[in-house]
Amino acid sequence: MERAAGGVSYQRFPRVRIRELKDDYAKFELRDTDASMANALRRVMIAEVPTVAIDLVEIEVNSSVLNDEFIAHRLGLIPLTSAAAMAMRFSRDCDACDGDGSCEYCSVEFHLAARATDSDQTLEVTSNDLRSTDPKVCPVDQARAYQHALGGTEPFDTAAAADQRGILIVKLRRGQELRLRAIARKGIGKDHAKWSPAATVTFMYEPEIRINEELMETLTLEEKRNLVESSPTKVFNIDPNTQQVVVEDAEAYTYDDEVIKKADAMGKPGLIEINAKEDSFIFTVETTGAITAYELIMNAITVLRQKLDAVRLQDDDADLGELGAHLVGG
Amino acid sequence: MERTEEEEAPAAKDPNASLPSPTYRSLAAPVTKPVDKFALLPAFLKVRGLVKEHIDSFNYFITKGIRNIVKANNRIEARNNPSIFLRYNSVRVGVPSVQVQYIAEKITPHFCRLTDRTYSAPVLADIEYTVGKQYELKRKPNFIIGYLPIMLRSHACVLNGKDEAELARYGECPLDPGGYFIVKGTEKVILIQEQLSKNRIIIDTDSKGRVIASVTSSTHEIKSKTVIFMEKEKIYLQLNQFTKPIPIIVVMKAMGMESDQEVAQMVGRDPRYGDLLYPSIQECAFERIYTQKQALQYMDDKVMYPGAGNQKEGRSKSILRDVFVAHVPVESGNFRPKCIYTAVMLRRMMDAILNADTFDDKDYVGNKRLELSGQLISLLFEDLFKTMNSNAVELMNKTSEKIHSSPLDLSLHIKENIITHGLERAISTGNWDIKRFRMHRKGVSQVLSRLSYMASLGYMTRITPQFEKTRKTSGPRALQPSQWGMLCPCDTPEGEACGLTKNLALLTHVTTDQEEGPLMNLCYSLGVEDLSLLSGEEIHASGSFLVMFNGLILGKHRQPQRFANAMRKLRRSGIIGEFVSIFVNEKQHCIHIASDGGRVCRPLIIADKGIPRVKEHHMKQLRDGIRSFDDFLRDGLIEYLDVNEENNALIALYEHEDQDDVQRSSITHIEIEPLTILGVVAGLIPYPHHNQSPRNTYQCAMGKQAMGNIAYNQLFRADSLLYLLVYAQRPLLTTKTIELVGYDKLGAGQNATVAVMSYSGYDIEDAIVMNKSSLDRGFGRCIAMKKYTVTKEKYEGGYSDRIVKPQRDKDGALLKQNMRALDEDGFAAPGLIIRNHDIYVNKQTPRNTKRDSGAHLTDRDYKDSPAVYKGVDGETTVVDRVMLCSDTDEKLIIKCIIRHTRRPEVGDKFSSRHGQKGVCGTIVQQEDFPFSERGICPDLIMNPHGFPSRMTIGKMIELLGGKAGVSCGQFHYGSAFGEPSGNADKVEDISRTLVKHGFSYNGKDLLYSGILGHPCQAYVFMGPIYYQKLKHMVLDKMHARASGPRVLLTRQPTEGRSRDGGLRLGEMERDCLIAYGASMLIFERLLISSDPYQVQVCRKCGLLGYYNHKLKASYCSMCKNGENMAKMRMPYACKLLFQELQAMNVVPRLKLTEG
Repeated sequence: MERAAGGVSYQRFPRVRIRELKDDYAKFELRDTDASMANALRRVMIAEVPTVAIDLVEIEVNSSVLNDEFIAHRLGLIPLTSAAAMAMRFSRDCDACDGDGSCEYCSVEFHLAARATDSDQTLEVTSNDLRSTDPKVCPVDQARAYQHALGGTEPFDTAAAADQRGILIVKLRRGQELRLRAIARKGIGKDHAKWSPAATVTFMYEPEIRINEELMETLTLEEKRNLVESSPTKVFNIDPNTQQVVVEDAEAYTYDDEVIKKADAMGKPGLIEINAKEDSFIFTVETTGAITAYELIMNAITVLRQKLDAVRLQDDDADLGELGAHLVGG
Repeated sequence: MERTEEEEAPAAKDPNASLPSPTYRSLAAPVTKPVDKFALLPAFLKVRGLVKEHIDSFNYFITKGIRNIVKANNRIEARNNPSIFLRYNSVRVGVPSVQVQYIAEKITPHFCRLTDRTYSAPVLADIEYTVGKQYELKRKPNFIIGYLPIMLRSHACVLNGKDEAELARYGECPLDPGGYFIVKGTEKVILIQEQLSKNRIIIDTDSKGRVIASVTSSTHEIKSKTVIFMEKEKIYLQLNQFTKPIPIIVVMKAMGMESDQEVAQMVGRDPRYGDLLYPSIQECAFERIYTQKQALQYMDDKVMYPGAGNQKEGRSKSILRDVFVAHVPVESGNFRPKCIYTAVMLRRMMDAILNADTFDDKDYVGNKRLELSGQLISLLFEDLFKTMNSNAVELMNKTSEKIHSSPLDLSLHIKENIITHGLERAISTGNWDIKRFRMHRKGVSQVLSRLSYMASLGYMTRITPQFEKTRKTSGPRALQPSQWGMLCPCDTPEGEACGLTKNLALLTHVTTDQEEGPLMNLCYSLGVEDLSLLSGEEIHASGSFLVMFNGLILGKHRQPQRFANAMRKLRRSGIIGEFVSIFVNEKQHCIHIASDGGRVCRPLIIADKGIPRVKEHHMKQLRDGIRSFDDFLRDGLIEYLDVNEENNALIALYEHEDQDDVQRSSITHIEIEPLTILGVVAGLIPYPHHNQSPRNTYQCAMGKQAMGNIAYNQLFRADSLLYLLVYAQRPLLTTKTIELVGYDKLGAGQNATVAVMSYSGYDIEDAIVMNKSSLDRGFGRCIAMKKYTVTKEKYEGGYSDRIVKPQRDKDGALLKQNMRALDEDGFAAPGLIIRNHDIYVNKQTPRNTKRDSGAHLTDRDYKDSPAVYKGVDGETTVVDRVMLCSDTDEKLIIKCIIRHTRRPEVGDKFSSRHGQKGVCGTIVQQEDFPFSERGICPDLIMNPHGFPSRMTIGKMIELLGGKAGVSCGQFHYGSAFGEPSGNADKVEDISRTLVKHGFSYNGKDLLYSGILGHPCQAYVFMGPIYYQKLKHMVLDKMHARASGPRVLLTRQPTEGRSRDGGLRLGEMERDCLIAYGASMLIFERLLISSDPYQVQVCRKCGLLGYYNHKLKASYCSMCKNGENMAKMRMPYACKLLFQELQAMNVVPRLKLTEG
């Protein structure tokens, strides 16, 4: 794939079209721009959108089989609802608590107290057992269960029921106890993966598929069927009415060249031509639930704009320290 | 990979039987699917599972061995008064217990681990002895003669027969195989010792090229080695008791065979034997020895230690009876069996001279015997028991000499400490010293490694050789065809023990001794003609075979094949033991029957003309639980073969249903499953048959260094050092062996998504580039737990150390900051962070430990001696547990377990399961990592250079299989040689699964650069591979030093990281610096940073003077003045060299030039 000639900077007017949008999933098209912009957006979504995660754990009692650091690590990885994260302060820059990170502007406190007492059953300590001092910041499973209790947006089904069990932290046998206090703070994924709101963010170049109709006419129906089946993913199909090979799902193509190899093996080179458009990108965004997919995208654009503003507004002799200005928050 | 295996000798055929005529029925017969026999493996392992050979050997000792020893030495009496005696009537081993205040308390293995005790049980005997002046008989049942350490999971262990819930109550892991001892709190394994067979004739050449026949005889009473060799066409006997070799004809005459003709007949009528024997006969005539009396006189003159022993029959005759081929019995002075045995030795020696094919291979596994812990403890127990009895006899003699003394209890003479401490010391140190046999072995027992579950299992199946590892001979190190299925071909160390230290294969079993008398009678019943009835002419008649039973010649049989078939039929029906081996040796014209202990054997499916006896309905009954593995043995479907008997068998790897009847008819056995030729550790490797062989060997070494879970009770143990993986996983691409040995429950690695591509320069050579987000989420995170032990000592006069609470000032603040980890009882509090130089036990010691007793000590009489934690600055370590217990001397022991959770960093070592190890070269942010359009971001990037030269194709297939497994939600299998039987997935099937789930059939994906967003120009091979975290971590090896301690002698920096030593600049480093021209750097390393020393040198005489600090002047002792002194700097070691040379009257002089 040829790369666009570099060196020339030009103004772009990208277009976005949303194909799918759910709370934790989004699929959209980004057009009329180049790979640098698409990749920058991807990188910001992964590593620089702030969220809230547990950052300090004080364990009072822990008689479970997992040790303190183990449990602290698992608590840190629990995604917390972070819609308010953009407005929060980073603990290291908070002037209300002089940087120790324990005030209401830069942190949220959690408590957990669980004890297995009566039966031989194993008690499962989950994220539902975490009690937050701020109802806006709580484990994502708790928030989902709360929404469902209000008779909210989604109908009841078994998948939702399974989700309400919460994220398992530790299992306690009879007599074992876990009691702790945890402080959650604002952070970005560049510091630790627990602050990354993206389960994954990826894009692909939109394929441009062209079928040579004249060569296709020379194929028998069996040969057409073999050609369609040579692709591991379902890209092509046979139109039952016209018996012609048509593109069913161009974006299912994984650039594996299998169908092109098949055409070559049939003695028909050039039967299908597939190229990647260099100005069209198909984005797929999945979040951990800390923020919605829409918030993730919009926050990423905000962060990206802040970084661009920092570059644009700097004087010629100034350093690039302002690139981190968006990290101050406030 | 399909083949039939034909061992060294061709299958024995009855010459009278005609080959079956070929038929065409097979062409019309329906093709049947082969029976899946894999279920036999878990059934076998349930009955004879891993390390059962250790447990069987020990069980044999505590049920039969100890009884035989005591019975053989059951009476001791006073020398001058036989009426005073003590007799042991019966002996048994009790339940494990410990004596506390004269009361026996039952103990468990875990209790002994934690409290540093020995897990042992009393040896109880019913004794009777005479007492009083009238010598009345008195009985005392259940008399303790000593305490015997008990092997875990043996019959005498409390864990025997317990299920999983009961084991959990005892604090044990159900996956722990047992088979080891706990001595003073330490887990000790008595390793399997490999040695040459006893009581067997070995034909070999010695270092001078002479042909020798040697026998190592071993009985309860004596061990001796008999060597017969030929030199200058004459044959001699070499025995340690004689000063010179004895001509062999003289030996025969001394044993009563005076006729030369009879000797020649006994060896054989072949004229070639006579030609070889003639020079020896001539030499005997030359010495004018014709009668037995003359021969004995000749030999008496050459005895090493004359004058001792029995004088009536002569020294040499007793040597011939007791030492010369000692395992052949002499009854009522009848030496004929020894003569025949010697003749057989001579005959085989001559066969070897005439035909080189008949030499024996000392490295042949059938010529080896494995000595297990039961046998070793048996030897030791017997020696200690005899020592105890000898001491008792001495005491009895003393008391019996005193006339009119009061009646004494003879049982008080039995000192149980001799056995108790002797056994404990031997197992604890590994030194086996038995004076009677002049046996001095070291390293017999070793500490059981608990680094990983695989390390423990590897220890239990390990075989150590007898001779030195430093010898570079290749013969014992080479892979033997006879090791097939018995010893693992992969699991052996690199380095000096390569090929010498071996491991058992998965289905290998090591036999124990079986009773010989009934088997001998059975042989005679089946037509063996007694040796004493035969003349020399008849012994070697053509068509008849000698029958040798455990190295002893029983007699002769005229129909050897029928005899062997009858014996095997009896074995297959369970009438005789299943481990008895019947080997028809066509070359030697001999049938070898073996029922001794220490032979390796394995189960195989019996086939009749290539058709296995195991049918589908048998397997169905096994799966339903109706039929057990022992039922297969009893019904004659499966049998055990040892290495020798395998020579009479034709063993097929698989059923060959595609062959016709003629080809199949010679197959006698079929493997249960070919993957069982590998051992436990090698069974972890997926697709090992697709790897280059050394890679499998490297993985066997590294699989034991991998972190993971070691046992279900890993958090309740108190090991000195324990490494655990926080999120251990089972492999996505697994093997059947992994499930059989329980590795899927105690995994030691994680499935990582690996991209095989270039990425920056940090993955040069074998380094790995790692994803920071993967490490954040817990990949490779491990816990290191270390034990620190403090003893509260006791001193004379009743004084002891004391533990005090942390000292505080009047405001309640700690006097010393390093006491912050302490609780109010003076011990570190669990859960607190402990840092470098913190105190974890606040101990004080009396200043004067020799003080007069009774005086009360005040605070001023104690000095501080705290236990200080030595760790790494900046690391957060936590006190995990503090345990208090008493040791056997009733001193308080404080054990502090300190825990450190570590995250991988640059320099830590990882490895796949194919010997591809590498350190972490750099850690990269996830957004910089390449990604696929499905959003998959690899956890680590591996350099593709790792594949071509190492040929680890198995790793490539593992990636494909893991990718297919994670796509379709099923585990895939890569067992060794498993494709034909379905225990390994074929690459075609894996590729089909990948295509079905939308991946490329060859496992490659299109990745986008994380830095630029552009597609990579090449497709990247990416998928999950199981990666092991090895124990080599930077934090344990990192070392730097600016200044520190020095050696006293040379004043140079100390050596080694643990002593805070200097960094070594070796010869190669010096050569590099010279080549680079960095001479000032050499000067700095070797002088300024090492041991600079300022000396005063006299310019006139060139000797070293000294500097007088009072007068502030330098002085030369030789010139007696200080006028010509010059100062210079040299290494102190150089000054030391000069002074040492002067001490030897060598005078080095320095000739100075102006600087």
